[in-house]
Amino acid sequence: MKKLLAFALTIGLGVLIIFALDANTSFDDFGYADLSERVSSRYITKDSTADIIFGVTQDPESGAANIVTSIVVDYRSFDTLGEVTVLFISALGVSLLLGSAVTQKRLSLDFKPNFMLRVASRALFGIIIMTGVYIILHGHLTPGGGFPGGTMIASAMLLLYLADDQFRAKIKSFKILEGVAGSLYVVIGLVGLVLGTYFLQNFLPNGTVGDLLSSGIIPIVYILIGLKVGSEISGVIDNFLTEEVEQ
Amino acid sequence: MMSAILLIAIPLLAAFLSILSKKIAPALLLLVGAANIVLLMFIPSEIVVIGGFDLPYGINLLMDSYARIALYLVNGLFFVVAILNVVEYKKLSSILLVALAALNGLLLTGDLFNLFVFLEVAGIAAYLITTTNKKPLSTFNYLVIGTVGSSLYLFGLMILYGMFGTLNMMDLINEIQTTGTAYGSLILPFFLMFIGLGIEAKLLPFNAWVKGILKHSNTLSGPMVASVYAATISLMFGRLVHNLFAFEGKLLTVVVVLLIAGVILGEAMAFSSKKAREILLFSSISQACITVLLFINGIIVWAVYLVIANALSKLVLYLVVNKATESTNSDDVDELKGLFANNILVGIAFTVAALSVMGLPLFVGFVVKLNYLTQLAVAGQLVVVALILVSSVVEGIYFVKLLIKLWYAGEKEVNVQFNLPYKAVFAVITLMIVLFGLYTAPLDSLDNSIDSVQDQIEVIYHG
Amino acid sequence: MIQYAAILLMMIGLYGLLTNRNVIKIIVSLNVLEIGLNIFIISIGFIYDGIAPILTSTNNSSGLIFVDPLPQALVLTAIVIGVGTTALGLAIVKSIYSKYKTLEIDEMEEA
Repeated sequence: MKKLLAFALTIGLGVLIIFALDANTSFDDFGYADLSERVSSRYITKDSTADIIFGVTQDPESGAANIVTSIVVDYRSFDTLGEVTVLFISALGVSLLLGSAVTQKRLSLDFKPNFMLRVASRALFGIIIMTGVYIILHGHLTPGGGFPGGTMIASAMLLLYLADDQFRAKIKSFKILEGVAGSLYVVIGLVGLVLGTYFLQNFLPNGTVGDLLSSGIIPIVYILIGLKVGSEISGVIDNFLTEEVEQ
Repeated sequence: MMSAILLIAIPLLAAFLSILSKKIAPALLLLVGAANIVLLMFIPSEIVVIGGFDLPYGINLLMDSYARIALYLVNGLFFVVAILNVVEYKKLSSILLVALAALNGLLLTGDLFNLFVFLEVAGIAAYLITTTNKKPLSTFNYLVIGTVGSSLYLFGLMILYGMFGTLNMMDLINEIQTTGTAYGSLILPFFLMFIGLGIEAKLLPFNAWVKGILKHSNTLSGPMVASVYAATISLMFGRLVHNLFAFEGKLLTVVVVLLIAGVILGEAMAFSSKKAREILLFSSISQACITVLLFINGIIVWAVYLVIANALSKLVLYLVVNKATESTNSDDVDELKGLFANNILVGIAFTVAALSVMGLPLFVGFVVKLNYLTQLAVAGQLVVVALILVSSVVEGIYFVKLLIKLWYAGEKEVNVQFNLPYKAVFAVITLMIVLFGLYTAPLDSLDNSIDSVQDQIEVIYHG
Repeated sequence: MIQYAAILLMMIGLYGLLTNRNVIKIIVSLNVLEIGLNIFIISIGFIYDGIAPILTSTNNSSGLIFVDPLPQALVLTAIVIGVGTTALGLAIVKSIYSKYKTLEIDEMEEA
């Protein structure tokens, strides 16, 4: 009975929303959005009258060739700071809830991985880490950036955890890395406030669009974010896969 | 150099640094809490642009008198709650620092997606603070309901983006006004955003989480959720309701009916309850609904005073009840009979706070209630006035019942120790309540212009 | 078409939240709701014949027709926030399990 009611409610709600959006004349039809009416046109043209050409334009307003990166780390960098804080506080919460005992050992499971898995995973570990680092470093030129790259690094740690049931990473050093990377992000913002006039202002030169060393503080911020995300998620993995030592 | 962004950046920096060493974390919490209050006196009222990109392409913070009053209140209350609890709940210091940054961010931000991000940060900090209740199922409920609320808010916001192409609050309001959009097409996104924020603001019928959390609260989670968070969310919600939503027509009717139902049901359930914490939490729910009703009718300044008065009174009420419950392991009112017979000062503070919430003369609650009821009557909302008066009578009855039971000793001797910091806080807040009840000139000097969003829009877009 | 699918996903997630009594299934429904929402947000930015908003050596001028980059940046943030809340939710589930020894809400006696 309750399921029927919930079903009716959700179907009714869905139909209502679809009708409301169809009847809404200001809501752009799917695929026919007009970018000149939205703030995104400024993000694409970067407030210059000439077109931005890959490999040629020097020192535009925001130097990343990947426009989404320039939004995430330059125009709306404050949102990214908030997002980094969300991950920080979630990882902190997980360690508060699950990691409170002083001594921990790995969770004992019924499945024991075999020798070949343990050895082969070490080879894969290097490849995954390299991919993650590549994606972090090229965040301003190709899709990706700090968040997927950091998650890849953490997934390499997960591989080691799953392949070897006695493996534990050095969590203390991860925590230090996480704290330092986070504080450096805020410090970069404060340096922008002191040197320039605005918090999180891009105070390094922007260079040529398309070079690896371009777009000011964007690669630096992405490296910090990648390290932070990687160490946080590795910490979360460790917290889930360990338990208290039975006294 | 002194800019409102420091109120958010410094607690964040302290939070990131505090995990490096567990010992300095509590000291850092108190230091930053105090520094924020001091910093607030030097920050000018302006629009702070972040990143060097003008609005609406970048994110901006809006600091005006409304934000200033709200920031003083929230930072001050937070500092008080933190000082009283830092010894017992050392492990949560980093989380409290992040919560402080998020609360400041909620009150200052002028960008709606930034509001969503800070809402999530503050929400996650609140879930973690409530884990100290040791009731994981209630925290889980709170997490699920809070996340659904934020998702609905984001859904509504994205529909608005699809319609107008901007995420900045002032730019959006300007676009809505200048393009003259029919209100009918705005009903869906506004209603979704209202529900999303209303869940956190404890409005009926979205407050299923409140009972689980505040019913088992302790001296940290109770005052934090019921006083600090409630004040922040009400004030932030008020700014949005007044400037952005500007309810009219059918949506206005629906919203007002929901809120009135919240007021009446809240008071009714408080009346029928026998547990001290339950009585307080239902009273909180109905006061939150009254606050939003005032914001809808444009009575900004008295709504702000109501929030301030409630936040201070609820702080005292929750601290007393939670400390007593902690010591006696029960919050059944019959078990706590005679609590104040041995603690006269605490009893006086509790009585003053309760009478102020009820709205008796001599206390600031009376002044606020008188003024907002008058203004509601002037605006023609006689039904609302009548209903609030009826619910005040009910409120009076159950508070007086509670007070009588707590003052006169029963058969058992109830022995609860309130140490000196608690008594100091109670004394200060009692004095403030009585003082502003008798001497109302500062309250009359401010008027509805403290919320300057419409003026800023005039200056930026039509000046 | 895809906007209908996104709204359908959101409603499936909502239905799951309202009817499930197992805490892990509630977290999965919450994730389905968030995925539906993210797909809807991305679909707001789509433009027919638009290309990905990245300047490369082949698409090298900013005068070409790009899809809207802003919803993509917002979804990046929303996905990470969803991950954060899911991780916290699962940690709370672990403490629920160690307290009540069951994952069904109906079997947990409210202590």
